[in-house]
Amino acid sequence: MTSVNSDRTTSGKLKYASGIETDTIAAIATPAGKGGIGIVRLSGPEAQNILVKIIGKKITPRYATLASFLDQQGEKLDRGLALFFPAPHSFTGEHVAELHGHGGPVIIDLLLSECLSHGARLAKPGEYSERAYHNNKLDLVQAEAIADLINSASANAARAAARSLSGDFSIQINKVAEEIKNLRVYVEASIDFPEEEIDFLTEGQVSQKAQKIVSELKLLLISSEQGVLLRDGIRLVIAGKPNVGKSSLLNCLVGFDRAIVTAHAGTTRDSLSESITLKGLPITFVDTAGLRTTNDVVELEGIKRTHEEIKKADRIILVRDASIKNRALEEELEELNLIDNSDENKKTNDRSDFFGRLLLVNNKMDLIGENLPTINISGNQSVINISALTGAGVDNLVEEIIQLVGYQQQTVGFSARRRHIESLNGALTALELGISQLNTMAAGELFAEDLKCAHMHCGDILGHMSSDELLGEIFSSFCIGK
Amino acid sequence: MSDQQYYDVIIIGGGHAGTEAALASARTGASTCLISQNIETIGQMSCNPAIGGIGKSHLVKEIDALDGVMAKATDRAGIHFRVLNARKGPAVRATRAQADRQLYKQTIRGFVENQDNLKLFQQTVVDLLIVNGVVKGVKTQLDVIFHANSVVLTTGTFLGGLIHIGMESHTGGRAGDPPSNSLAKRLRELPFRVDRLKTGTPPRIDARSVDFSQLEEQPGDNPRPVMSYLGSIEQHPEQRMCHITYTNADTHDIIRKNLKRSPLFSGKIDGTGPRYCPSIEDKVVRFADRDQHQIFIEPEGLNTQELYPNGISTSLPYDVQIALIRTIKGFENAHITRPGYAIEYDYFDPRDLNFSLETRFIEGLFFAGQINGTTGYEEAAAQGLLAGSNAALKAAGKPLWHPRRDEAYLGVLVDDLVNQGTNEPYRMFTSRAEFRLLLRQDNADARLTQMGRELGLVSNVRWDIFCEKQKKINELTQMLAEFKIIVGTDLANKFNKITDVKISKDSDLLTLLKRPEVNAQHVMKLIDSPDYNLVGEQVEIQIKYQGYIKRQQAEIDKIDRQEQVVLPPELDYLAMEGLSNELREKLAYVKPPTLAKAGRIQGITPAALSLLLIHAKKIRDMS
Repeated sequence: MTSVNSDRTTSGKLKYASGIETDTIAAIATPAGKGGIGIVRLSGPEAQNILVKIIGKKITPRYATLASFLDQQGEKLDRGLALFFPAPHSFTGEHVAELHGHGGPVIIDLLLSECLSHGARLAKPGEYSERAYHNNKLDLVQAEAIADLINSASANAARAAARSLSGDFSIQINKVAEEIKNLRVYVEASIDFPEEEIDFLTEGQVSQKAQKIVSELKLLLISSEQGVLLRDGIRLVIAGKPNVGKSSLLNCLVGFDRAIVTAHAGTTRDSLSESITLKGLPITFVDTAGLRTTNDVVELEGIKRTHEEIKKADRIILVRDASIKNRALEEELEELNLIDNSDENKKTNDRSDFFGRLLLVNNKMDLIGENLPTINISGNQSVINISALTGAGVDNLVEEIIQLVGYQQQTVGFSARRRHIESLNGALTALELGISQLNTMAAGELFAEDLKCAHMHCGDILGHMSSDELLGEIFSSFCIGK
Repeated sequence: MSDQQYYDVIIIGGGHAGTEAALASARTGASTCLISQNIETIGQMSCNPAIGGIGKSHLVKEIDALDGVMAKATDRAGIHFRVLNARKGPAVRATRAQADRQLYKQTIRGFVENQDNLKLFQQTVVDLLIVNGVVKGVKTQLDVIFHANSVVLTTGTFLGGLIHIGMESHTGGRAGDPPSNSLAKRLRELPFRVDRLKTGTPPRIDARSVDFSQLEEQPGDNPRPVMSYLGSIEQHPEQRMCHITYTNADTHDIIRKNLKRSPLFSGKIDGTGPRYCPSIEDKVVRFADRDQHQIFIEPEGLNTQELYPNGISTSLPYDVQIALIRTIKGFENAHITRPGYAIEYDYFDPRDLNFSLETRFIEGLFFAGQINGTTGYEEAAAQGLLAGSNAALKAAGKPLWHPRRDEAYLGVLVDDLVNQGTNEPYRMFTSRAEFRLLLRQDNADARLTQMGRELGLVSNVRWDIFCEKQKKINELTQMLAEFKIIVGTDLANKFNKITDVKISKDSDLLTLLKRPEVNAQHVMKLIDSPDYNLVGEQVEIQIKYQGYIKRQQAEIDKIDRQEQVVLPPELDYLAMEGLSNELREKLAYVKPPTLAKAGRIQGITPAALSLLLIHAKKIRDMS
């Protein structure tokens, strides 16, 4: 199937059992959990070299070695255990190195970015298992377990990415991506349709426009490195009918822990969010407009926003008033327009995803006056009984929340942000190279290549545009038709 | 009494796909028969009289690298040659030629008639012989049975062809030729998914009625390029001038007033036309703010007065065509020799093909050309070559082949068609090729000739020339790398004089060739080895693109890895958890054979790919 190609070059990279060259990938390999220990795992030919650069010494393979983790300036980031598993006796069959740190999410993220600065690339979802597969390291049971994990992890990651893109960041990155696309439409059209009467940009204009995008990207990078525009952490939405005690619950949770990070009114008229650190895990609670059938325009808008919040949430706390007679859960959910009970929708992913995120709370236990167990099981769903007024049972709720969110914290939120920054950096580097090609070599086709590369990096954040869609843009912008 | 004949490979259709298919099959040694409704129309250019252009000449050079005939015939029939994108760098440079229709057809006919192992037969094919899902041959109108191990269908627009001029319509495969309706009916009984496409042509004009003094001239290039690597300008016939004119506000008024008489706008035509080649009525409606549209006036040949006004294809009624033509500068008294028309025809969803262009439902049956939803002679010919060579390999019981996206535009073409399908006539553009810097005109041979040689497609003559060229490229690269230039020496001064570049540290010519100011001619002057002059530019391109090519290599490595993961056909995509419904359906429809191919389906995510990988692994371990 292959043929000779005199342009292909072989670099001096290592080759593995499959005979294929690979690069080195890195990712946070562990859930945060309550212990707060995080592992950064590297896999690939450079794994050992990068490990040596970070801990400053070589270590004995397969022995846990205590070491300080240093940044490029030699500053200590953390102290923990380092391990090295030489190929092929490792999880992926490649050289694998692990850094077991003691720091919280922020330190682990710094450690990961340290690995990236030494030449590793951020692993894509499922990439470790893909490599393990290629090196015949996966057995059937493992493969199935990993398939399940990818199922849930990709849904979580998608939510985290969607959320981190909200607000200003989303607007700005969309703007830059749009400008890159428009420039590509011109450049590609001038390459593919040189004979058409198209008012193409002159080379000077092209380079000027590209330069403007570079400045915008730089600004965007500064803001996102500072975390100004990106919002991470777990997002819990408190939802339910009006007057079931949602706001009281929020107040109660806020009071439970004194480490309030920020408290600000939400962008919506009726949503209020509070970011809280519960036992070291940053969590945002969102109080929403009560759900019910109404014709009031303002209230309808609030309800619409509640539904949007629910879509983006990692977990939905559905609050019900225990002092009144409630309908069956499914009926109530349908009444609130949260699920669709029609037959064709009963088995959809959306529905099982919704139930997977649902946490049921019965409020106003103080009014009942009975000593109900704090957690009981109704159907498949566990229910937590509380009184937001007296605070009874709220500690159970906090425990439950921490258990639920503990796993996701670092793996999802931080890597989503790290990935965005990586992508923006990639786009910037490509654009700068392209501009220099255009200015020094007048090489339009190389500029086009770099511009495509920058567009791809933006696509990693926003979704990719196929070459056919780009052609569609060209045909709708220019009248082409020889 | 019916006659019986036996062949390895039967090709149905004698257009650009059919002739390249028949020739390729015969070149590999397979006994081949090309059956055409009309031998006189073999090699006919049904649309505009031009070969090549951006993206398209890349395909022509690939056909040439596999010893096909399109480039060779263009050199013998071309009457106007140009290099497009000459100032934009070698990867996107392209060659285009206007061809004399008669000369082109004669040249192709000559190649076909002089090819060993290839016979011609004139007859309409009415049926395919299929036993247990395997093709066994074809039956013609006179009940002649042709037995074969492989059959290649290249029926162009002839399947269910319907021609529209104004509100009138009649059946036809091309103006003046009947459609193949019984074969179309037979194919519609098979499990292929069929749909309709549409394309159009402009009215042809008599040059004697045109005022050329009013028109802009467009001469061919000097120095004049050649199409085939083995070609020379001595082969070219006499050269002709092309001209340019424009539509104007009066033209557009006439079109707007008569839109209700257009089958396109009255809803009479339901086939999808191409976005990039709209009819003049489409252009006027969609780009209402434009007050003129360009028309390229292409000569039809040396011995004819007919002209092809490219850019005004139309299906408006004849009286409107006359009126609109006569508003155009230079065409005030123009005589239309043939009215323009739109044609609707059947095409088969190419997602029902394997990458070899063999159909998935009928073993041994191959499709190539417009039947697969493409447009253009070059796209058709390239597919023909692939299908023909695979039909021969199949008949010989050998494994089939196809180039990959990083190896050839032909690979991009086949991969796009089979993986994504198409809902408009598919045409090649360089922007479709993500490895555009690798897939150049100048290195088509380096990418494909060795493979072609192994398949038996490449003659000794071409092989020897190819090997010599590759040897020279390697030797010259070596020579330049070893040619040191030391600061302050006479050589450094000479280098400075030739290039106007002053070197500040010792270097070698190969490294210096990377610099924008230094080109192949400069270094060739310095080394003074005229034997290598022809490959100088090759070495320059390779060294100037080196950085980018290295970057693309990482992407290619990933594809290499994923190409090795076979996705078993029994994978049940519809039952796979964790995929969106849309993706499940797409995957189930396309059934990609490898992970790399699944990765190019629109909307696929890395997580979804990992899932496929693991499900594939499960099936492999259980069997």
